[in-house]
Amino acid sequence: MLSAGFVHFVEYELQVIALAWLGILYALKIFQLSRLPMFREKAPPKGSAGAGVLRSYSNMLIPWSMESSKKHFWRWVEFGAYHVGAGVAILNTFTSPFIPGMMTESVRWIFAILIAPAFLLGIAKFVRRIIQPEMRLVSTPDDYFAVVSVELFFFSAIMALILNTPEWRTTYFLITAAFLFYVPFSKISHYIYFFFAAIFTGSRYGYRGVRPEGRQAE
Amino acid sequence: MTTAIELAEKELEKKYSKLVGTAASNMCAHCGWCIDSCHVYQATHDPETSPVAKAERIRRVYKKEHDWMSKIFPSWTGAKKLTEEELDKWVKLAFRDCTLCERCVVNCPMGVETPQLISAARAALTAAGKAPEILTQLADMAISKEENAELYRDFFLEQIKEIEKQLQENMKNPDARIPIENEGAKILYVPLSGAHTILPEATIFNAVGESWTMSMFEASNYGVFLGDTAKAKRITERIINEAKRLKVKEIVLTECGHAYTTLRWEAPKWFAGPLPFRVRSILEVLDEYVRDGRLKLDPSKNPEPVTYHDSCNLGRKGGLLEEPRRVIKAAARDFREMTPNRLQSLCCGGGSGLVAISEWSESRINAGKPKADQIRETGAKTVVTSCDNCRHQITELSEYYNLGIKVTSLCELTAQALVLPSVK
Repeated sequence: MLSAGFVHFVEYELQVIALAWLGILYALKIFQLSRLPMFREKAPPKGSAGAGVLRSYSNMLIPWSMESSKKHFWRWVEFGAYHVGAGVAILNTFTSPFIPGMMTESVRWIFAILIAPAFLLGIAKFVRRIIQPEMRLVSTPDDYFAVVSVELFFFSAIMALILNTPEWRTTYFLITAAFLFYVPFSKISHYIYFFFAAIFTGSRYGYRGVRPEGRQAE
Repeated sequence: MTTAIELAEKELEKKYSKLVGTAASNMCAHCGWCIDSCHVYQATHDPETSPVAKAERIRRVYKKEHDWMSKIFPSWTGAKKLTEEELDKWVKLAFRDCTLCERCVVNCPMGVETPQLISAARAALTAAGKAPEILTQLADMAISKEENAELYRDFFLEQIKEIEKQLQENMKNPDARIPIENEGAKILYVPLSGAHTILPEATIFNAVGESWTMSMFEASNYGVFLGDTAKAKRITERIINEAKRLKVKEIVLTECGHAYTTLRWEAPKWFAGPLPFRVRSILEVLDEYVRDGRLKLDPSKNPEPVTYHDSCNLGRKGGLLEEPRRVIKAAARDFREMTPNRLQSLCCGGGSGLVAISEWSESRINAGKPKADQIRETGAKTVVTSCDNCRHQITELSEYYNLGIKVTSLCELTAQALVLPSVK
């Protein structure tokens, strides 16, 4: 039996500490990035840098814009479902402790149903990483651990949402805290760089009139 | 004495210090979306040739020095120190198995700039003295041509006189000219070596009555392929100085992919601001002539089906996607697109200097198989391409894969369709 004090500590204080840790390390990463020189185009433009940046940010919302998502449409669906699940699982770390009134049984079920496909897709990702030679070649222990840790996070979130017991809630928040402590050192934080790189790559393509495409590539 | 590794590391550090290098090194999630976007991988199905695998080799060296986790537990992220053995493995990876075509970038959900990493590797190899010798020689030759301009001048003028005679004969116009050192001309046209990048352009310029002069130098820049910014700058400077000396209003580059991206987009960064004249590709000039009605073209003079190969440098990196298409439609009767095209166009397999490295011709021809298949599917008899690298490669692909096609430039196709005014 878990003491109410411990459950409270894990759900509140520990989350705040873990989030602060993540925030400080991310701020440090962003500070380091922002100090690096950003090479800007200096020639007269052919297109709009801003439009190119917007296009870079919206790339994943337009599956027909990339051959990699057009040819492998299922992969794009997987990507969407996985990230929706991740988003909901993260959202739940805030709503469960801080807005408990919102977490009615039906909302908990909706959250669990949205996270479940992500959990199953995570297993598929792990298997693919092992059996596909191209993926195995580039995978490091960090890659495998990242998938496993996200899977644990998803699984505990689903169990905590459905069963809503102190044991599962504590497990979920302990895993969440461990996850938050680890993320800044892992490839999971790749999205931080995305926001910078999308500006660089998007503005270059936009400025040079390459993107947004005047006509779709066929 | 500084070792090859130290020189390579120093160069890598210089390139990594750019934000894009840092981002490309950290943001890859190893999702594998880019794998089959690479023409080399498509041709070989060798996992080592996928964009992520190629980038990862370089990324791991970067991580060893810069990534928090990799510094403490390198085996956890696969990070490693640069060794002589690793550097030797990079030679084929950077100069043979990647043509810096950027197709992986436009097919990556994160937009990871893998070619930036490969360019950094090229620069490191060049600094360490491990770059393919022929590329270094060609870059050095371009520099020495400027240093010995006087020696070279008479021979050059003699050659141009010969081409001019041919021009007058073709145009049936004794007044047709190839002007050299024409101070105050509007355009400085920069060709490649060989009459095929002079004669058709001269025909067109004479036909529209353009104010132009021809450069003493070639547009190509092997310093760019080496990732050697100092040499690339030096080679570019020759043309910039010539343009300043002749007080032209614009530089027009011949049909050469990397020459265009270099002078149009990269040079202003190297020289800290816009150049004091406009820089355009001949493709843009032709497009303007066609749209303004200055060129009278008869598409029935090019009756056979024609397709267009987008050079990676002109299209995906340079933004010239529609201009050549508009000109072809005006100059030929039956234009057919390859699939895919434009932003998603496949590299010919010979880009970024690879076509000059004879010892790798077998793998280059193999890597061109996806392009050869694409061409065959169009049923076209003529392939137009606006890059000399691509032209060489596609000509060889045609011979090897029995495509039975003619490879030509946009200017040649246009000159063929030209309706010349009768000379009194």
